[in-house]
Amino acid sequence: MSEGPIVRVENVTFVYNPGSENPTVALRNVDLTLYRGDYLVIVGHNGSGKSTLVKHLNALLLPTEGEVWVKGMDTRDPEHVLDIRRSVGMVFQNPDNQIVATVVEHDVAFGPENLGLPPEEVERRVEWALGVVGMLPHRDRASHLLSAGQKQRVAIAGVLAMKPDVIVLDESTAMLDPVGREEVLKTIRRLNREEGVTVVAVTHFMREAVEGNRVVVMEEGRIVMEGTPREVFSRVEELREMMLDVPQPTELSYELHKLRPDFPPDLLTVEEVVEEICRRGGGVR
Amino acid sequence: MEDFEFLRHITLGQYLPGDSLVHRLDPRVKISVMLFMTVAITFNVSYLANIILLIVCLSFVLLSKIPLGYILSGVKPALPFIIVLAILQLLFYGDAFVPYGTESRTILRWGWVHVTSGSVQLVVVSTLRFLQLLFLASLLTNTTTISDLTSGMEAMLSPFSRVGLPGHELALVGAIALRFVPILAEQLEIIMKAQASRGADLGAKGRLRFIQTTRQMVALIVPLFIDAFRRAEDLILAMEARCYVGGRHRTKRVRFRFQRADYIAYVLVLLFSAAMVAFRNRMPF
Repeated sequence: MSEGPIVRVENVTFVYNPGSENPTVALRNVDLTLYRGDYLVIVGHNGSGKSTLVKHLNALLLPTEGEVWVKGMDTRDPEHVLDIRRSVGMVFQNPDNQIVATVVEHDVAFGPENLGLPPEEVERRVEWALGVVGMLPHRDRASHLLSAGQKQRVAIAGVLAMKPDVIVLDESTAMLDPVGREEVLKTIRRLNREEGVTVVAVTHFMREAVEGNRVVVMEEGRIVMEGTPREVFSRVEELREMMLDVPQPTELSYELHKLRPDFPPDLLTVEEVVEEICRRGGGVR
Repeated sequence: MEDFEFLRHITLGQYLPGDSLVHRLDPRVKISVMLFMTVAITFNVSYLANIILLIVCLSFVLLSKIPLGYILSGVKPALPFIIVLAILQLLFYGDAFVPYGTESRTILRWGWVHVTSGSVQLVVVSTLRFLQLLFLASLLTNTTTISDLTSGMEAMLSPFSRVGLPGHELALVGAIALRFVPILAEQLEIIMKAQASRGADLGAKGRLRFIQTTRQMVALIVPLFIDAFRRAEDLILAMEARCYVGGRHRTKRVRFRFQRADYIAYVLVLLFSAAMVAFRNRMPF
C-alpha cells in the first residue's frame, strides 16, 4: 500500500511559555514524515525534544510555528482534533497514571465509549484489543493488581481499541523491569507486523532502537540523524560525541572493524555478530 | 519498617468477592436500600424501633455471608471517639433530649452532671444507630465493586442531567478518586521511608507528641500533594489522548437490568422503611 505519508511534520518550532521571561525552545525547525507501516524510533537525551515532538502528532501540543498534518488534517484545526486523536493513539510512561477504570475491561472500553460507538461494537473491540496484547484472560481483574508490564499492555489495549492508524509510545518501557519491557516490545512488534499499525516509539534504550525500520536521533530540539538503524548506528563516533550509546553488538562489530577493516562495522544484533564470526571460521582472533 | 506499612491494611470500602444474594443484587437497588434504611434510622429514636432496625441490618449481613467480625473490625479505630462521645452524652445531655411522649426522669444529679432516662436512651440509641449505619455502609462497599457502585450511581443520577447535574462526571470523579487511593497510599509510604531515612523522627513519642507529629505531617503532605498533582496532569493527557470530552457523546452501556430478586428487595425495604417512619411515635417503648 504505497500512498502519501500518514503524518507530516513541516518545519515545526515549539516554544514552552512563549512571551514569558524565560521561554524555552523545545523544537527547532523539525521536519518528519511518517509512512503507513513504519516503525519509527526516536532516541535522544532528556530534554532533546523527543517527547515534545510526539505530543504534536495527536494535537496534545500545537506548533508555535510550522504545521503538522495527520491524514490530511491540520492539527491546529479544532474541528479535527477528535479525528486526529482517534487516528493517533498514545501510550505514556507511567502505566498507573493512564489507567482510568478499576477493572481491566472497563478501562479498555473507555476510549471506544468516548467515541460514542454502539455497545456491541465496544464489546467486540475490547475483546479484540485484549486478545492482541494477550490480556484477555485478565479482563475481569482489578487493574491495580497487575504487574507493571501487564498494566502497560492494558494501556496499549486501551489505545488499540480505538483502532488507530498510528500508536505513539512515549517512553512506555522506561518504568518497566526487563521482563515487562520484553513483554511490551513483543506486543508492539506484533502490532506493527501483524496488525499493520504504524508505530512511533520514543526511548533512550538503544537496544530498542534496533527494533524499528527507521531511527531518528534528536539533540537540542533538532533532528540530527535519520535513517535505518544500520545507517544511524554505523556512525559510532558521532553518536559518542553526543554522549549517546550504541547498541552493544554494534559497538563490538565497530571495534572489530577497526582491527580488521574487512569486518562489517554495522551489525545490529547478537545473532548477526555471532553469524559473521562463525562464517569466518574463527578467523578474527 | 513495619511502622510505615499500616497503609496496606486499609479495609475501608474493600470489595470482598462472593456469590451471595446481596452480591448479586443490582447496585442501584443496594444504593436505594441504603438510602431508605438511613431515612428509617434517622427518624426512629425509640428502643424498640432501633432493636428492630438492628435485627434487619444484621439479617442483611447474614444474607451477604460477609463475616460479622470483619465488619466489626472496622469499628476499632473509631472506638475511643465513640466511647468519649457516649460518656459526654450520658453525663451532660440530660436536659437536651426528651423522647416523644415520655417524661424524662432524673437518675443522677451532681453538679454539672445530670443523667436522665433521656440521656441513657440517647446513648443506647446512638450506639445502635452507629452499628446499623456501619453495617449498611460496609455491606454496600463490601459486596459491590467500585465500578458497579459508580455506574450504579451514574445511572441513578442520569435523570437529573436534564436539570444540569453532571451525573457522569460526578461518577467518574468518584471512580478515579477511589482508583488512586492505593497508589497514593503507596506513594505516602515511599515518602515516609524517604523522610525517615534522612532522619525524620516519624514515630515520635513523648508528652508533646501531638505538636511534633503535626509538624512532621507537613513534610509528608506537601510532597504527597505535589505527586498527586503531577499524576493528575498525566491522567488528563492520557484521557485527552483517548478522546475524552465529557459525558455527552459517550456510549451509554446498559450494564444492569432489574431481576425479580431486585424488585422484591426494593419493594420490601421501601415498605418496611415507610412503615418504620410512619409508626415511629407509636412504639410501646
